[in-house]
Amino acid sequence: MTMDPGLQAFSEESCEMLEEIENILLKLEDDPDDSSLINELFRSVHTIKGAAGLFGFDNVVSFTHVTESVMMKVRDGELAVTSDLLNLLLSCRDHIMVLVDIALLDNAALDAETRQTDGQLSEKLNVFLGGDLKLMETETAKEVADVPESDASSGNMQNSNWHISLRFKENVLCDGMDPLSFIRYLSTIGDIESLTTLYESLPPPAQMNPESCYLGFEISLRSEAKKEEIEEVFEFVQEDCVIHILPPHSHVDQFIQLIEELPEENLKLGEILKLSGALTERELQEALTEQASGEVEQPLIGDVVTAQHVVETEVVNAAVEKQKQVKASKARESQLIRVNAEKLETLINLIGELVISGAHTSLLAKKSKDLKLLESIGQMSQQVEEIRNAALGLRMVQIGETFNKFRRVVRELSKDLGKEINLVIEGADTELDKSVVDKIGDPLMHLVRNSIDHGIEASEQRTAKNKPVVGELKLSARHESGSIVIEISDDGNGLNKEKILTKALEKGLIADNQSLTEAEIHNLIFKPGFSTAATVSNISGRGVGMDVVRTNIESLRGQVEVHSVAGSGSVFSIRLPLTLAIIDGFLVRVGHQSFIIPLDLIEECISSQDITQSLYKDGNTIELRGKVIPVIRLADIYGIQVESNEKPNNLNDNIVITHYGSKLVGLIVDELLGEYQTVIKPLGKIFQNLRGISGATILGSGEVGLIIEVPTLANYVQELQQNSFMANSEQQVNSSSLLH
Amino acid sequence: MSKTILIVDDSASVRTVVATTLKGAGYNVIQANDGKDALSKMTGDKIHMIISDVNMPNMNGIEFVKEVKKHPSYKFTPICMLTTESEADKMQEGKAAGAKAWIVKPFQPPKLLAAVEKLVLP
Repeated sequence: MTMDPGLQAFSEESCEMLEEIENILLKLEDDPDDSSLINELFRSVHTIKGAAGLFGFDNVVSFTHVTESVMMKVRDGELAVTSDLLNLLLSCRDHIMVLVDIALLDNAALDAETRQTDGQLSEKLNVFLGGDLKLMETETAKEVADVPESDASSGNMQNSNWHISLRFKENVLCDGMDPLSFIRYLSTIGDIESLTTLYESLPPPAQMNPESCYLGFEISLRSEAKKEEIEEVFEFVQEDCVIHILPPHSHVDQFIQLIEELPEENLKLGEILKLSGALTERELQEALTEQASGEVEQPLIGDVVTAQHVVETEVVNAAVEKQKQVKASKARESQLIRVNAEKLETLINLIGELVISGAHTSLLAKKSKDLKLLESIGQMSQQVEEIRNAALGLRMVQIGETFNKFRRVVRELSKDLGKEINLVIEGADTELDKSVVDKIGDPLMHLVRNSIDHGIEASEQRTAKNKPVVGELKLSARHESGSIVIEISDDGNGLNKEKILTKALEKGLIADNQSLTEAEIHNLIFKPGFSTAATVSNISGRGVGMDVVRTNIESLRGQVEVHSVAGSGSVFSIRLPLTLAIIDGFLVRVGHQSFIIPLDLIEECISSQDITQSLYKDGNTIELRGKVIPVIRLADIYGIQVESNEKPNNLNDNIVITHYGSKLVGLIVDELLGEYQTVIKPLGKIFQNLRGISGATILGSGEVGLIIEVPTLANYVQELQQNSFMANSEQQVNSSSLLH
Repeated sequence: MSKTILIVDDSASVRTVVATTLKGAGYNVIQANDGKDALSKMTGDKIHMIISDVNMPNMNGIEFVKEVKKHPSYKFTPICMLTTESEADKMQEGKAAGAKAWIVKPFQPPKLLAAVEKLVLP
């Protein structure tokens, strides 16, 4: 179902505003006197109300009106921002969200529960208003019988036309009003039978100000319209114009009064009225005589200038119908262009193909050795890269919005648990791919809940430990060598090493005699089937825990790690690629097979000649600047035949040092081919179980290059080593230290 | 040639509804987020009418009206303000500034069109 563009805009806007309201309310909690926040808050609610009114969402309008009234009092300094008020406003914000959702659902009626909440919240708001709540005046459509009764009693005019006298003030033009426009508009509700222009007040040309209006008009209108419809025509000039409207068949006295009230000379005006057909000669004479004899004691024309805000039911109904038709047929226009995600996906795929064909073309050009061609190709490649970056940039969004969602979570969870927690957000403007942002929400939520539930201690415990009573939870994001790092850190209790070890043994995740470093123990919590919570609370610890987090993050080609110091807190770091579609890769060759290593994982490339031979003896580790680094020979792992004549000895190997998380691992390859823009193509189903390969790409030559997934490859190798270690543990003591 | 109407409102949905209504009636529409944005879009081309919200960030409707009234090319341009019933004091201020036409939100599109037809410059 496609939504009406107007409604769509309303839906998006109200979502945005509600999010904004939530953020402001939470900020107000820290800084209750910030008047700019209060103003912003007021405006956001006001905007929702105004927009909802346009669509006739009365439930939304009436509730936001009450909320707005309270906010207005806050803005005007009549009400102080207290935590009670903020709590109430937060609930109101939630309720408005419900109301908007209901309204968008065909503007359905409220269910009993919602109506109850509505009532309760309104009542509470009312308390803050001190009872002087101005409820939306329900504008009752009252029928005003302005078409006069057609009793032909003596004194009523024969004329069946409306008579309108207009005297414009001098400043009307300066106010942007054109008298003629109104008269022109008048002809849309009836026929102007006659129109006389009065120019008596025109000053002599020398004194005339061309920007002033000196004219008056006497109009005779034949119309079925009601009086207020005619009055509405002149609604905007009310203040700049003296208006008299006499209904058809008005009593002669009313004309007399009109003549008296208007500034022109009586006789002259009478003549005009006669000319315009409002009065007959006889009526005029009669009127003038009566006026002269001073017998006029009729009541004033009280009803002439009344009833401006009366809404006619039929007019409204017709208007609603018309509105629906108009809205349905028109598209929307705005500064922001909202693009279907699918179209963007297609664009990115096409650019991927362009990158591949570009690589192919430049390969051919290199073979041709045509300098001019090479130069032109070089330029084109650069532009292709720019296009690629721009296209990927289209999908980039700031992570701040995702982070902000946690303010509420932290606030509510900490309240439920009786903990005081302050959420700090850093690097909210860090951008990453929309698809990554969408998928990172759940794992983040889990980690945040985990930190609040298990990490940060209750206030009493904190006081006992000499820590600040208010715990701190920090969400931060930053770019780091081509990937984005998101950290969730708390200043809580840290991980309990002993508990983890016992649990891991219990669950058979580790062997009895295994010696593990502290970091290894901490990272055991990401193993499947691991959950330390003694009791399952409703906040975290359902046992699906951390391994799900890890799987989710790894499915985004990311990694997660934990660093913890007992007693002073833990940091969960998530490292994610910037994008999931095209990456900068590093092309290497092993035998006849090409591999791509994600460039952002590469630390450096070294030739094995640089390595001291003595430390290279077991073939599994090297020493690099005093650090022992495990190495993996890709040819061995993937069973690739390497021709012996190509490699007389191992010394010509190249080693690519890559990092995964905070660890380093070297990959031994035959040849380094350089940077390569890599369009990631997923592997088919049959290759799903392939370890250490995350996807494939098509090289310029048309060959397939496999993309190496360093973390899983390293883990795989570690497992292989462990298995062989278990089998030969008696003989070989050394090899378990392969990877750590 | 169709007439041009400038609509100034910080609410995208109000702008959309107003713009849709006006375009349906054959007007050209220029949209602006706030007074400042609107002034930057008043570049000398004829604008037959301005419709402006009151409560806006950066430059509110009243300040905007005052600026328009000072503008040599646009001081005679009719301005219609959109307001809500809660802004009665603003209405007085606005009228003093020279914005005489006011439409109270919520309004129905026919009412808007009627106002435009009454006010729009020939």
